[in-house]
Amino acid sequence: MDFISAFCSPGVFCQILLGLSRTVILFIVASGLSLILGVLRIPNIAHGSLYMIGAFMAYTVSRVFGGGITGYWMAIVLAPLGVALVSFIIERGIFSRLYEREHIMLFLLTFSFSLVFGDLVKMVWGAEYRSVSMPGFFQGSIPIFGLPFPIYNFFLLLMGPVVAIVLWLIVNKTKMGKISRAAAVDREMVGAVGINVSLVFCIVFVIGCFLAGLGGALVAPIVNVVLGMDHTLIMEAFLIVIIGGLGNIWGALLGSLIFGLTQSLGILIWPQFGIVFPYAAVVVVLSFKPTGLLKSTW
Amino acid sequence: MKRAMIVGLGVVLLGFLGVSFSYGANTIKVGFVDTYSGPASIYTFDVVDAFKMAIQGINAKGGVLGKKIEYTTRDEKFNPATGLAMAKELVMKEEVDILAGTINSATTLAVSDFAKKEKIPFLCTFAKSEKITGEMGHRYVFGVAENTRMIGKAAAFGIAKKPYTKFWMAGEDYEYGHAVNDAAWRYIKAMKPTAQLLGQTWWKVGEADIAPYVAPILQAKPDCLLMGTGGSGNANFLKLAKAMDIGKQLAVVLHTSIELSNLQALGKDAPEGVWGTVNYLYYYPETPENKTFVEEFRKMYNRPPKVGALYGYAAAQLIAKAYQKAGKVDKEKFITAMEGLTVDSPVGKLEMRKCDHQLMLPMFFGVTKASPQYDYLIADNIMTIAGKDYLPTCEEIMKVRK
Repeated sequence: MDFISAFCSPGVFCQILLGLSRTVILFIVASGLSLILGVLRIPNIAHGSLYMIGAFMAYTVSRVFGGGITGYWMAIVLAPLGVALVSFIIERGIFSRLYEREHIMLFLLTFSFSLVFGDLVKMVWGAEYRSVSMPGFFQGSIPIFGLPFPIYNFFLLLMGPVVAIVLWLIVNKTKMGKISRAAAVDREMVGAVGINVSLVFCIVFVIGCFLAGLGGALVAPIVNVVLGMDHTLIMEAFLIVIIGGLGNIWGALLGSLIFGLTQSLGILIWPQFGIVFPYAAVVVVLSFKPTGLLKSTW
Repeated sequence: MKRAMIVGLGVVLLGFLGVSFSYGANTIKVGFVDTYSGPASIYTFDVVDAFKMAIQGINAKGGVLGKKIEYTTRDEKFNPATGLAMAKELVMKEEVDILAGTINSATTLAVSDFAKKEKIPFLCTFAKSEKITGEMGHRYVFGVAENTRMIGKAAAFGIAKKPYTKFWMAGEDYEYGHAVNDAAWRYIKAMKPTAQLLGQTWWKVGEADIAPYVAPILQAKPDCLLMGTGGSGNANFLKLAKAMDIGKQLAVVLHTSIELSNLQALGKDAPEGVWGTVNYLYYYPETPENKTFVEEFRKMYNRPPKVGALYGYAAAQLIAKAYQKAGKVDKEKFITAMEGLTVDSPVGKLEMRKCDHQLMLPMFFGVTKASPQYDYLIADNIMTIAGKDYLPTCEEIMKVRK
């Protein structure tokens, strides 16, 4: 009984909420990665770099608009659009010519892009730490059962479902979404019935990268915007996509939930080794379902 | 034809000789290997900039032993293998008299080992591993910056006097984080036997959202949280500390929380009430030496000096004074002259301790506070901890060196 009452304590509740808010960032970034992986078959290592660029752009935009509340909202809107523009250029310029290549080749190409982007960020923004100010009404925390819960994390909790629903609408309710799902299964057939597959691919790629930029812009107020912030995230995003099922957006959601919640609850059980739990969960999932939890489009 | 070639070769050889002669005759060369690209470079440029400023002053007064001090830099890109190769290149090709630099502890230990074999003096101007002048210390390496053992002991010195008994340690899961916290806890326990450690929490370096890690610590209600984060990880924690108002619920000690690199980057997003230690603050102490130094640095670089500037400046003063004392440019004589040497600095007289070659810097212990004067937070309630009070004793060092 002690165990049950301990598990229903406000501490655990808080921890679940914090885990869910972490899930949101992971989901936003991983769903973009998964979308690109599923439809275009590109394992995009540079996805993390686009997340980083999103955070840096958020910094610049919020600065341009005076750093306050307007600056923040403009950053949330404009930074992902900026990232989408960058991705549009590289998709049209380079990837669109290389879809037929082998995965390993695309893998290396996107890896080289992550290095190039890293250096570009350094050239544009420099190596200094940057900080995006938290807008006034997101500052501070509110008590939940006496424990302080950062207000911004509540905002993240709201953003998660919004992004998930919009993605669901795009994929299931639009013609473009239907074509992209079809193209994911059999791209030659879709081309054969007279649909401009290249255009669909371009749009999907840009949407996926937009999500990376959105993740970066959303995370910017709670972290130091700094070179190298892409590395840790891209690892986690790939693991999430793999345990969820390659190319399946709901798999990305499930994977993010597993990753975020095992982490936050793991910390409660054994804070000293809290890092281990999400990775242990990945091992467990892959030992029982090596292809991922949900149906992979590969 | 053949003769022409031999003559040509002879001329070229003479040319080489001439070049090295001119080095030998007129200059003392210092070779910096350090990280000048990537995140760590926000610390390293202050070192080399202040070094440049200091040697300009020394050279303007005629240099040392009639020779000018020169320096050259190499960017090791935070890679120990590259750093070691560059140190070799500086010694073999550039024929530098002294090696300096390195913020990366792994690079420092590699270069230090090389310096020991080649018998080249090496001044470490930033890396924080306690092994550098501790268990891996030797005749040719000098620590100009503080290290994790010193950081921990200074934190203990500052915090043990306060009425805290329940501690928690947390930080980034890498050597620096663990070393700082382990040292702090070891000395706190020694200074205050009633202290108890309730638990510890570690997260990955570069972790974006650390709220799930920190929230359970607040629930455990320790009196004092010992933090072991560095670089950009500091700001991630400080931002969360502001959002959750951690400083009001328990005492937090974080090395460099009061340092300019962190507080300037965060501006008004930094939390008040976080304790921290640092070797240098440009606005404290308000002595003529410090004011002159800050003015000169500002005039030259149009920014206030950060902690690295003190290390770079001290390194230049040590080199100049040691050669003066040695009387000639000789590596062994230089080492002997360095031992026990005292130089002037913006924070007062600094002694290069003979037993472990560690510079006895003062440490400032203070708490973050908003100030109407600045658009970022500053340190308040500052206490100066003298080098002798927080450096590990010579006996401790000799024990770990065995």
